Order: sequence, then structure tokens, then C-alpha cells
Amino acid sequence: MMKTAPAPVPLSPAVFAVLLALGDGDKHGYAIMKQAHTPEGGNVKMGPGTLYGTLDRLIRDGMVEETGMTDDERRRYYRLKARGRTALAAELDRLNVAITSARASGLLAHGGRS
Amino acid sequence: MSRTAPHADEPNRLVSLYAMAVRLYPGPFREAYGTSLKQTFRDSLDDRTLSRRTLIPLVLRDLATSLVKEHLIMLRDTFGRPALIFNALVLAGLATVLALALNTIPQQVLRLGANDPQIALADDLTVKLQQGIAATDAITPASIDIARSLTPFVIAYDDQGHPLASQARLDGAIPAPPSGVFDYVRQHGQDRLSWQPVRGTEHGVRIAAVVERVMPVGSAPGGFVLAGRNMREVEAREHLVGQLATLAWLAMLGLIFVATAVFGWITRPRGLQSMVKAG
Repeated sequence: MMKTAPAPVPLSPAVFAVLLALGDGDKHGYAIMKQAHTPEGGNVKMGPGTLYGTLDRLIRDGMVEETGMTDDERRRYYRLKARGRTALAAELDRLNVAITSARASGLLAHGGRS
Repeated sequence: MSRTAPHADEPNRLVSLYAMAVRLYPGPFREAYGTSLKQTFRDSLDDRTLSRRTLIPLVLRDLATSLVKEHLIMLRDTFGRPALIFNALVLAGLATVLALALNTIPQQVLRLGANDPQIALADDLTVKLQQGIAATDAITPASIDIARSLTPFVIAYDDQGHPLASQARLDGAIPAPPSGVFDYVRQHGQDRLSWQPVRGTEHGVRIAAVVERVMPVGSAPGGFVLAGRNMREVEAREHLVGQLATLAWLAMLGLIFVATAVFGWITRPRGLQSMVKAG
């Protein structure tokens, strides 16, 4: 029997893309933005204003923090906190369930991309 | 000899323009992220995989949406604090109660004061009728059009409520209050009421009326006296009081709104939470 996890609140595309970009390591603002633009990063076209607004809210919610490290005093690096990692995992699970279901219904080809 | 590319200064110009646009963000956001915003824009310009044709519209769209969003968030953080809203609502509630009192109390005083001449007239006529004076002799002849005149008037009725003598006319006839009024006065001795005599299908005239019971004494038959007065002027004053109370209410709400906005601005959160966390 499948264990049913409580349904996570869907994340906004920008929040999802930022968390996903930070999921594989610390990044500075432009690196997050660039990864978000890629299909693997969620294909979310966001500019600097949206990026830092989203980062601010994520920092406020305890999902992301600044690393304090920098390769340039104008570049700040960010990393996921445990709470952000949990939220990202929950969102990925939610999407995974939806994609599995779509494949089972024939709405999405096996191994294909929508 | 050195050659300068035709658009060599373009990145600097774009960065300068973007830096000017960054100044449009709310202060705390700009202080926290202004440098990062500009650096990220510079990084975008330096990225040769991202064409200007893609970047510039993206940044313009982003500026338009994120400026609005950050200002709305700043407004929410400044003025949407529960304590601030609660205080404003309590003050607005108090202002509403005060305005209702300013409306109701003077109107009641005006309405009650409108009965004073009628009380004296009704008492005097009742005494005369109970002394056995005939209604037609006790009442000074007059023909007061109660729809127009503000003069107080009296009417005497017999014990069944039929008019005996009257100074008042409404559309040429002697007006009579509903029979329920006489039943009430028969039991309680007196009634003070706002009376709207029927005029065809209209009820346009309002009368401040005092109705008293005339007790049968000796040969003097029982009956009723009604003293009344058109309420037009009193109602005009009541209307004025209502308007003044409404103006006072709106002024109080406006003052509360302005004071709340000023207080909210003075006590607004300084800087973003992320700045605190970043130390």
C-alpha cells in the first residue's frame, strides 16, 4: 500500500526554479537566473528584480540563506537550507506523481518531454 | 591607431540606465539588493549566449512587474501590520458610534421638543372640555391647512373618535388619526406620536401630535383632543443634523486614515528581514 504524504502547497514557478537551481550547490544571483532559464532548470524566464524579490522571500521564510562567501564583493552566494530542501523535495514529489499519472493515462509519452 | 567599435559604450549606457531604474525600487529592497541587481544585469550583458534581443525585453518586463510587486509588498509590510489595522478598525468603530450618537441624540431632542406647544394646547383644551364647555366654543375658529402651515392646531373628537370641532383642514376635510390611537389613549390617558394623515394614496405630511383623553365629568361628555403641528421645519433640522453627523463621521474616518498612514510610515519596518539575517 502506498504511503500518502500530505499534499505540498504548489510552489510558484520562480520559487521552484530558484530552489531547483540551488539544489545542486551554492550559486550567485546570475548563475541562479541562468539555470532557471534552461529547460532543466524549469524554463523560467526571470529577470534580476524577480530573482532578488524571490530570494528575499525565501530568506525570510527560512528556505535559503546567504553563504557569506563571495568571489567579488558585488556577487553574493546563496544556498538551500533544510526547509528549502524539504519544500523542493515535496514539490518534485508532487510533480512526479502528476507526471506518472499523466504517463499512465497516455497524456505523456513514456520517457518523453511535454 | 586604435579603432573603437561603434557600440563599445553600449553596455555601460545600459548599466547606467538599469542603475537608474533600480533607484525606483523601494528603499529597503534597493539597499539590500541594489548592488546585486546591477551586478546580475552586468553578468547578463557579459553573457554572450544571451542575445540583447532576448535580454532587454526580459529585463524591461521584469522591471515593470517586480517594481509593482516590491512596492505592493512594501505597502503591505508598512500598512498591513495586524496591530496597525486593528487599531485603525477600533478607532473607526469608535468614530462610527460617536457619529451615530451625534446623529441620534440631537434628532431625539429636536423631535421631543417639537411636542412642547402641543402638550400645552392639549392640556388647556382638555381642561375646558372637562369643565363642560362645548368643543365649538372652546376651540378658536380657524382653518389651518396642515399640509402647508406650521401653526399648531387642535381638534376635538367625541368618545367614538368623530370630530366635533377643528382648526385643522387637510384637503378640505378634518383629519382623523387611526382608531388604534384612540384605543391606546383610552387606556393610557395620552399619546405622543408622529402622525402621517392619509392624503389619497400619499403620506406626505408628518404631524407631531399629542392626543389626550377627555374624561366625562358630570354633564360633560368624554372624548379626545388632538394638538398637532406640521413637522416640516423640525425634519429639516433633523436632516441638517444628519448631514453634519455624516460629515463629522467622514472627517473622523479621514483623520484616522491619515493618522494611521503616517504612524504606519513612521514605524515601518526598517530594512528587509533578509538584511538582518545576512548580518
